[in-house]
Amino acid sequence: MTQFLLQIALAGLAQGSLFALTALGLVMIYNASSVVNFAHGAMGMAATYVAYVLIARFEVPFALAFAAALVAAFVLGAVVQAVFLARLRNAPLLSQVVVTLGLFMLLEGLMGIAFGYNPRPMRESIAIAPVILGDLVLRPQDVLQLALLLILGVALAAFFAATKVGLGMRAITENTYAARLMGIPVGRLLAIAWGTGVALSAVAAVLAAPTTSVTPNMMDTIVVYGFVAAIVGGFGSMAGALVGGLILGVVVNLIDAFLAPELAMSIVFGLLLLVLYVRPDGLFGRAQVQKV
Amino acid sequence: MLEARGVTVRFGGLVAVNALDLDVPDRGIFALVGPNGAGKTTLINALSRVCPVAGGTVRLGDVDVLSLPPHAAVSAGIARSFQRAELFPSLTVLENLLVGLHSTMQTGLSGALMTPASRTEEQAARARAERVLRDLDLWEVRNAAPADMPYGHQKLLDVARALVSEPALLLLDEPFAGLTEAEAPRLLACIRAAGERCAVLMIEHHFELLEGIAQRMTVMDFGQKVSEGTPASMRTDPEVIRCYLGTGRHRTAAASAC
Amino acid sequence: MQRRLVIAILVACAVLPIAFQALGQRQVYWLFVISEFYVFAIVAISLDLLMGRSGQISLGQSGFVALGAYTAAILNQRFNVDLPLGMLAGAATAAVASLVLGFPATRLRGHYLGIVTLGFGIAIDQIALKWDALTGGDQGIHLHRPALFGVDAGTPVRMYYVALVALVVAVLLVRGLTQTRIGRAFAAIKDSEVAAAAMGVPVARTKVLAFIVSAFLAGAAGGIYAFLAGFVAPEDFGIESSLLFFAMVVIGGMGSIPGAIGGAVVVDAVKNAAATVSGLSLALLGGMIVLVVLFFPGGLKGLLRTRRIRRERRPAPKGVVRQDA
Ligand SMILES: Nc1ncnc2c1ncn2[C@@H]1O[C@H](COP(=O)(O)OP(=O)(O)OP(=O)(O)O)[C@@H](O)[C@H]1O
Ligand SMILES: [Mg+2]
Repeated sequence: MTQFLLQIALAGLAQGSLFALTALGLVMIYNASSVVNFAHGAMGMAATYVAYVLIARFEVPFALAFAAALVAAFVLGAVVQAVFLARLRNAPLLSQVVVTLGLFMLLEGLMGIAFGYNPRPMRESIAIAPVILGDLVLRPQDVLQLALLLILGVALAAFFAATKVGLGMRAITENTYAARLMGIPVGRLLAIAWGTGVALSAVAAVLAAPTTSVTPNMMDTIVVYGFVAAIVGGFGSMAGALVGGLILGVVVNLIDAFLAPELAMSIVFGLLLLVLYVRPDGLFGRAQVQKV
Repeated sequence: MLEARGVTVRFGGLVAVNALDLDVPDRGIFALVGPNGAGKTTLINALSRVCPVAGGTVRLGDVDVLSLPPHAAVSAGIARSFQRAELFPSLTVLENLLVGLHSTMQTGLSGALMTPASRTEEQAARARAERVLRDLDLWEVRNAAPADMPYGHQKLLDVARALVSEPALLLLDEPFAGLTEAEAPRLLACIRAAGERCAVLMIEHHFELLEGIAQRMTVMDFGQKVSEGTPASMRTDPEVIRCYLGTGRHRTAAASAC
Repeated sequence: MQRRLVIAILVACAVLPIAFQALGQRQVYWLFVISEFYVFAIVAISLDLLMGRSGQISLGQSGFVALGAYTAAILNQRFNVDLPLGMLAGAATAAVASLVLGFPATRLRGHYLGIVTLGFGIAIDQIALKWDALTGGDQGIHLHRPALFGVDAGTPVRMYYVALVALVVAVLLVRGLTQTRIGRAFAAIKDSEVAAAAMGVPVARTKVLAFIVSAFLAGAAGGIYAFLAGFVAPEDFGIESSLLFFAMVVIGGMGSIPGAIGGAVVVDAVKNAAATVSGLSLALLGGMIVLVVLFFPGGLKGLLRTRRIRRERRPAPKGVVRQDA
């Protein structure tokens, strides 16, 4: 039994790392621009098609295709911020969120038109046989996911703590207007934040592709769990998003194993409501004050 | 009669209002002055329950103001305006005013059914709003969108929205800032009239204007009360001159900054 | 002018079934399409009240529609409950659910609410599929022939009028609400929570109230839909349909009843016209949403209004006395 539980925990952490990666990107974008990016998963999905086409049509090696997808995601994120959101800087926040929903529909629809809705298979990113450790089975793919999450998490934290870009982004979070007055290149930093955030979503999407297959709605479930992870983590804390994603992964796997997999998302949202009843700012969030 | 004792507001490490005592009688016009960042707006936010208060007590008559939920300040008799007009852009001018009457009205969802009771109440509210709009010369633009009006009109509307509920204590945050010379006299007359009926506590940087209407003046700096008295006495108070009015060149600089 | 236009549209809607007789057999289909549109328009109005009027995003509106439809269907199937009662029961169920959802939602900053409602929509869908003892699972539920106060309403023409009257009533109710105290409070919390609270509007309670009223209307629409279609199944109420309602409100122009109805016309037309290519209608609607937000913030309604203003501002030709109604 303990071995079974351990195996579930492992699978949960691996799946949770996808949620966490998605959530990290969401929080990154939210922190910089206060926008909940509903197109987040769709943008990661679109980038995955870049990797898919490179691998399936041009037989590019996986690592190269992965890198190309990340670049595409970064550009997509930066362009969306610069073209769509920058225009809405003075519009109500609701409009900005609505635009991301429109983009979500647009991207999914366009990919549906271009590639159809039939799932297209994607090979496992590492072709190594699973490692047997005592009674546990370690899938290389799972290890890769967790490793990438931890590496990216640490890298982002270091980046934010140590560089001028990180400092500027924190300044924008505090007060965009003042940051602009201080000569911080707000537009460029916002584009970087969006680019990086979407690239994180693309990391999750490409890693998920062998399991979900490549389809226009491949990220729908993952991004919804990414939202939940971000909320649990306080929507604003990167560490919270990371931990929230991992916890959620384990919870989802427990539900799949012991309750009803078809109801997984319903149960997760029930739990989320309970969490929010008790702690409206999430498990790791802090309350915010409004300024008049 | 408003009695504030030891009111303290903190933003993280910043003490925006520091153990401040303030008494406002039932009627008359009282002014709150001080340099930028002194904590005047924050004090009004505290009194009107807009921002959380770290310590102290506020009583208006028998009511313990700080125990009220934010929306209940109006029904306790405290209405306010905002330093930068904080209007409802998706409502018309008249509707903005009617929101000011929200807590004096009862109609709930039954408004959807146009019941006779809700209609009567609606009509009475509109009549009340009309009076205030006419006083401030805004009646002609009652169906305009606030954003289509010049800024001065928006400020007037913001004040009107606070006036319309006929509060016991009217808190005005720099009501004259941004008004044109044509608009200011109407507002002045309205504030004078309000001062006959209730207590008006207004933040204002314009010293000459205050000398004409304010009975008493409280000067704040760094969240604390520096001095208190008639406007005339404040002009010569050394503390006030040091922190606010300044001397010679500095004085004109301060005045033009506002 | 406005009033005359509305009356003309109403008359046209009222005589439409007579004109449809010319279609012979195909009239049954077209009557259903238009009746269904009326029901969707009610949902669009309900969502506009929540989103356009009170500024709260909902991505799970079809969850409320589903609750209303299933409640009506189950009551009808088991207890032979009729249309009016079934509709009210559906509306009430949706309203209760919105209360559970709305309470934590109002304490959420900004746009978490969108996420929570999205989850709600997904959950209702999953539960309807899974709990087949109650809902019939993917087989759905067939309803008995609808009746109104003992009178048979089961013909397409009669159900058409039921749907039309329901839409008109919904419009009148929402219009009444927006022109009185509570409706103004909805707009106030959308525009400025701080100012609204300072004016005596209890922000959290008002948000929940908007949620409840919106869910009630959507649930009522669901109840009517169940009787209109004679059959309910989970695939009618997925996330896709929530997105369609969302698109109706945005494209029509948020915060306007005619806008919501106009948006429903556009979305329904796009959905039906682009049904053959998968992804096409999603892409078109998504593109329209983006364009509307970027370039026509008033949506359809705003477009019409600016055109009208321009026309009115155009100077009248010399010697002609303008007579504006
Ligand atoms: N919501 C808030 N969060 C953090 N700091 C705040 C907030 N509101 C006000 N402050 C700070 O509190 C201090 C007092 O501000 P306040 O607005 O009360 O000043 P004021 O006297 O009204 O100045 P002014 O004449 O410029 O309007 C300032 O240092 C301001 O930056
Ligand atoms: Mg101030």
